[in-house]
Amino acid sequence: MARIELKNIAKSYGTVEVLRNIDLDIQDGEFVVLVGPSGCGKSTLLRMIAGLEPITSGAFEIDGKRMNDVRPRDRDIAMVFQSYALYPHMDVARNMGFSMEIRRDAAEMRKSRVAEAGKTLGLSKLLRRLPKELSGGQRQRVAMGRAIIRDPRAFLFDEPLSNLDAALRVEMRLEIARLHQKLKATMIYVTHDQVEALTLADRIVVLDSGDIQQVGSPLDLYERPANKFVAQFIGSPTMNVVPVSAASGGVILADGTFLALPHLDDTGLAVELGIRPEHIDVVDPDADALAAVADVVEHLGSDTNIYALVEGLGPIMVRVHGNIPAKPGDRLGLRIQAPNAHVFSADGRTLQRDMTGAA
Amino acid sequence: MESRAVITRKQNTVERGETRARRSLYWQYVVEPFVYLSPSIILIGAVMLMPLIIGISYSFQSIELLRPFNTGWIGFENYAKLWADRKFWIALENTFWWTFWSITLQFFLGLGLAMLLNTHFFGKKLFQALVFLPWAVPTFLSALTWAWLFNPVIGPLPHWLTALGILSEPYNILGDPDLALWGPIAANVWFGVPFFAITLLAALQSIPGDMYEAAEIDGASAWQTFTKITLPFLAPMIAITVMLRTIWIANFADLIYVMTGGGPANSTQIISSYIFTTAFRRLDFGYASAIAVVLLILLMIYAVILLVIRKKLVKV
Ligand SMILES: Nc1ncnc2c1ncn2[C@@H]1O[C@H](COP(=O)(O)OP(=O)(O)OP(=O)(O)O)[C@@H](O)[C@H]1O
Ligand SMILES: [Mg+2]
Repeated sequence: MARIELKNIAKSYGTVEVLRNIDLDIQDGEFVVLVGPSGCGKSTLLRMIAGLEPITSGAFEIDGKRMNDVRPRDRDIAMVFQSYALYPHMDVARNMGFSMEIRRDAAEMRKSRVAEAGKTLGLSKLLRRLPKELSGGQRQRVAMGRAIIRDPRAFLFDEPLSNLDAALRVEMRLEIARLHQKLKATMIYVTHDQVEALTLADRIVVLDSGDIQQVGSPLDLYERPANKFVAQFIGSPTMNVVPVSAASGGVILADGTFLALPHLDDTGLAVELGIRPEHIDVVDPDADALAAVADVVEHLGSDTNIYALVEGLGPIMVRVHGNIPAKPGDRLGLRIQAPNAHVFSADGRTLQRDMTGAA
Repeated sequence: MESRAVITRKQNTVERGETRARRSLYWQYVVEPFVYLSPSIILIGAVMLMPLIIGISYSFQSIELLRPFNTGWIGFENYAKLWADRKFWIALENTFWWTFWSITLQFFLGLGLAMLLNTHFFGKKLFQALVFLPWAVPTFLSALTWAWLFNPVIGPLPHWLTALGILSEPYNILGDPDLALWGPIAANVWFGVPFFAITLLAALQSIPGDMYEAAEIDGASAWQTFTKITLPFLAPMIAITVMLRTIWIANFADLIYVMTGGGPANSTQIISSYIFTTAFRRLDFGYASAIAVVLLILLMIYAVILLVIRKKLVKV
């Protein structure tokens, strides 16, 4: 069990700065997910925590002790690699028990721990197999078994599910959630997948090009994104963003419609409006609403996605719960749910009640 | 167009009936492959099997160029003579030590070099080029150079060995029956290390980096990583290169021939140099063939043993 603190961490490869100003305080037992676009430095950050990459500057502490220059083996942190990194010449049991073999633990103890972990992960029948004789999902479980058998202070996962098919990914996601509940260990998890991030995390850290954009609970990020990047990165389908001009008590859309935003104190700096597809209502085309024409309609069963063209505004995506009988070419009226709208300033910041005073 | 062509062919097959089909099946599966293989079969037969068979048949004949009228089949007489030949047994023992020390030193030095070259250090490229240089020097030249190096009149080695306390006084070890074999072994090690360094370096570089990272996180020390990760990954390559090199070194008489000529007093005679001397100095081809057949059998037994071990060892 461990509390992990990153204080003003930075990482450079030569002159290329990959991460900067990383401040993060991870509580004991917390499940933190790192998300961000490809190349933003998620793996690098994780590898620095594991000790596989030297930390260029800043302080890295576990339970209050500085760990910057401690070797990986002495940090007592387990890592599950994206490639699994199973030892191909060892069978499943030896792969899982390798850390105990290294520590020269008694053979019976190793055996019982391996058997126990094998049972937890449903690998009992496969203990004598080599990694090449396993399916992708089984390999993934072996990689997790190798981590949990050590009973480490913290777990690191680098996109552990990205090599699995969709169904298996859902199954393993639940497995990991269950594991976290059972072990109550600190976990840091890197993923591309929003659903994984939103479902697993106690807190999500959004990274972009080496900077932390926002840290918060899944709901926080969804409801109160700190900036346009987070707003568009979290949530699927992506939030619509349209240009607006500021007006008192609200904003004016490009087609001239005035949208009142009474929940925001000051919209004076607003240049863009963000609205999630699920926060737009479809109403009668002749009602007092934005006039639009459906361009593409996707029926997902539980939801309907409509890509609509709004007069004077351009393309807007709408997500409606349930199955509605819309067809491409249909005329629609769209009404934005004002309380769920976000407005952004020219530098991409979100204008919110608590922030407008400072702005 | 396409579809019509297919239909025509179908009709053909149906019309021509069953016998035809069966014969074409026989042709297709039994005879046809060998027609394609025939160039390689003929080539292998001509350059490998024929000489082998002729060579083996020589070992059962008396073929001495110095006694041309005494030629003929003599059964196992050559082998009986071999059994009683003291020089043969000396050569066999020398072959063993020559091969054993050459391969052992070459392998461990080569492995060390490969591991060194697999890291990063200043001037690595230049060092790498230098390491691989001996491979490019003609055997004959390196043998002569090493012979000179061991000559106390012009070479430094005897003086160094004396300074280190290994020799009592600087003399030429190539002239000492007890030590002479070490001369060619030293030359051979120098000559053969690059081979192991190159092949093992290639094998080292093919080990995925995340294996080492996983081992590091699992807490393995450098030595544990080496024995539990690196060696198992290298095992297939080690088995095959050690086998090839052993066979080659056991047959490799050039260095010995140039440096000591098998002397003094046969103390550096190995089987292959003995074969060479017997065949081309004494011109006794029958007897030389008998020795060659024995060497062939010994090496085949060795290769089989090593391949069995390899199969047991290699899981990847
Ligand atoms: N050894 C290296 N030398 C120089 N630059 C590197 C090195 N390793 C990574 N980088 C750079 O650091 C940045 C972050 O890489 P990182 O692997 O952490 O990205 P990531 O967020 O994990 O991306 P992905 O989601 O694609 O895995 C990238 O721009 C990459 O080009
Ligand atoms: Mg990555």
